[in-house]
Amino acid sequence: MAWFSPPVDNLLYRCLSVSITVWLTLLFVFTIVPAVLGVSFGIRSFYIATLLKIFEWATLRMEMGAKEKNQELYKPYTNGIIVKEPPSSLRELRGSASCLRSEPEFEMADIFYFCRRGVESIVDDEVTKRFSAQELESWNLLTRSNYNFPHISLRLAALWGLGVLVRYGILLPLRVTLAVSGISLLLVLTTLVALLPRTELRFYLSEKVHLMCYRICVRALTAIITYHNRENKPKNGGICVANHTTPIDVIILANDGCYSLVGQVHGGLMGMIQRAMVKSTPHIWFERSEVKDRHLVAKRLSDHVADKTKQPILIFPEGTCINNTSVMMFKKGSFEIECTVYPVAIKYDPRFGDAFWNSSKFGLVSYLLRMMSSWAIVCSVWYLPPMNREEGEDAVQFANRVKAAIAAQGGLVDLIWDGGLKRAKVKDAFKEEQQKLYSKVLVGDHDSRDQRSDKCSEGENDKDAAEGQ
Amino acid sequence: MGATQTRSEHKYQDLVEKTGFSLEQITNLHKRFQHLSGNEETISKESLESIPALANNPIKKQIIGAFFDKRNQHQDEAGSFEEIGFEQFLMVMSHFRPPSLKTTEEEKEAMRKEKLRFLFNMHDTDNDGTITLAEYRTVVEELLSKSGAIGQEAAKAIADAAMLEVASTNVPHMAPDEFYEGITFEHFEQILKGLEMESRMHIRFLDMDTTTMRCGKSKS
Repeated sequence: MAWFSPPVDNLLYRCLSVSITVWLTLLFVFTIVPAVLGVSFGIRSFYIATLLKIFEWATLRMEMGAKEKNQELYKPYTNGIIVKEPPSSLRELRGSASCLRSEPEFEMADIFYFCRRGVESIVDDEVTKRFSAQELESWNLLTRSNYNFPHISLRLAALWGLGVLVRYGILLPLRVTLAVSGISLLLVLTTLVALLPRTELRFYLSEKVHLMCYRICVRALTAIITYHNRENKPKNGGICVANHTTPIDVIILANDGCYSLVGQVHGGLMGMIQRAMVKSTPHIWFERSEVKDRHLVAKRLSDHVADKTKQPILIFPEGTCINNTSVMMFKKGSFEIECTVYPVAIKYDPRFGDAFWNSSKFGLVSYLLRMMSSWAIVCSVWYLPPMNREEGEDAVQFANRVKAAIAAQGGLVDLIWDGGLKRAKVKDAFKEEQQKLYSKVLVGDHDSRDQRSDKCSEGENDKDAAEGQ
Repeated sequence: MGATQTRSEHKYQDLVEKTGFSLEQITNLHKRFQHLSGNEETISKESLESIPALANNPIKKQIIGAFFDKRNQHQDEAGSFEEIGFEQFLMVMSHFRPPSLKTTEEEKEAMRKEKLRFLFNMHDTDNDGTITLAEYRTVVEELLSKSGAIGQEAAKAIADAAMLEVASTNVPHMAPDEFYEGITFEHFEQILKGLEMESRMHIRFLDMDTTTMRCGKSKS
């Protein structure tokens, strides 16, 4: 028996070495070389088209299965389950009531309006809906996005099983290899470029190095990105703002141009990457203590922007990840700096994998694992024409204007709510705002009455309060 | 899997008859309920209080209270719950159901009375059958700003004026030392008799064929 094992061992070794060589060659030829050169073989588009056909077939099977059992296929909603009345209804409410009386005044029926608004909020709340992942109309063979388990037939289950094998057995290792090689290349090459003196050559090379590494990372995620309106791409000395869905947004945008990133200094692997990146191009990394000092932050940003040789800064003004169905409040800090703002809208196609990072549910590592084991990340990026702050416009109004433009382009809903509500509660100031609005409606009516009664009575505190309005 | 499906259908069938919602509406409301309760069986006042859009509403306390009020369950009980289940949630929601094409005049009258009762309960916090001046004043103060244009004195004055008006319409010749008890349900109904409630006190539920948003030009 002893003489039997060596040939088998040899055979095993040979098989392994051959397959690994083939694997690496394929990887090299089909992904790394195109990434370096910036060309594409069109493999990914073909892949996407095939996937779509499979998904459609899967959904059809589920619908057929549901029909056989005479049940409804649960079609989830994305826009809401009720129609909300617009906020201007309070005026209308008063208008229709006051035509019955000569003088408008406080009515018992005013409570109807607030009552209904309140129940509408309970049934269908805009804010909490934005923080859960979007739901799909067709099934993309990922259990994480399926709510129709009873309708899966044996064939579908087999297909799903095959999908799991493909995704975890083939795609995931491939992607992890790519990601690792991409990051190591980034570290090595930026350090090398940093050794050169500060010349044109160095700028040129560092740009190329960054772009190459981001392209590898994009292939590591199998991200298929369509850029629209590239003539509006951000230029030096400006700030680029975009809506935020996931940390991958950075890779998506940096794939097409060089930006200076802004962020906190981290430790560990992230820290190493940050230090490597900053050697060859100017990024803005803050110490944790500095982040709280808004003036310091603003100063560093303005200095960077004033230098026209430096790349545009990339900022995500929402401050947190939103689930890509809407755009939430933009923090005004980045809009206070005097420079051109280049808005960018990013919209992910949820059919292939949900890109939203729900940071309360998943940590970063498990999020990346989920991303790398989805089918693909398909998204569209629109570069919007540059905007400047106008005369007499303050930072908040400017921020809202930019936000509206981004929401309109990306087909997202424009909300006034703060992304920070994911973790905090609404300030009392908002409730008081509503109360003030309502009291203004009343006081407007009372002013005429009070003026008449004032002629007969002494001036009182009430009157002052009402007239001081 | 098949058995659980039919069982839940029967359960919802009950609710369809009790509350008048359609099966589809109940399923969607159930999803919302799950979301509010964090997939538990019941919701407490805290879960409703954490809704941001509701925080914006001046009478938030009264609205949340209405959900936990036993009188709104149409079972002749009084007091309030600590937590409510899906059925109780639906019962309260049914006050805001719009009339369909098939509702008869009688049913519409009954629905109107229910809605008025709901509002009455919202004002009448101690459940003595009348809205006293103090109770009414509380509601008016909540509606108006505590810190803004209308101070507490003015809010009180507004509430008093409104109560006086109500009193004068219902008890036209009140003696100077007679004490006006408060607004009873019949008075309440009478005050709001001319008011068109149908458009103000119901919520329009959508049909569920909404499509997802797609990317612009995906792949060529």
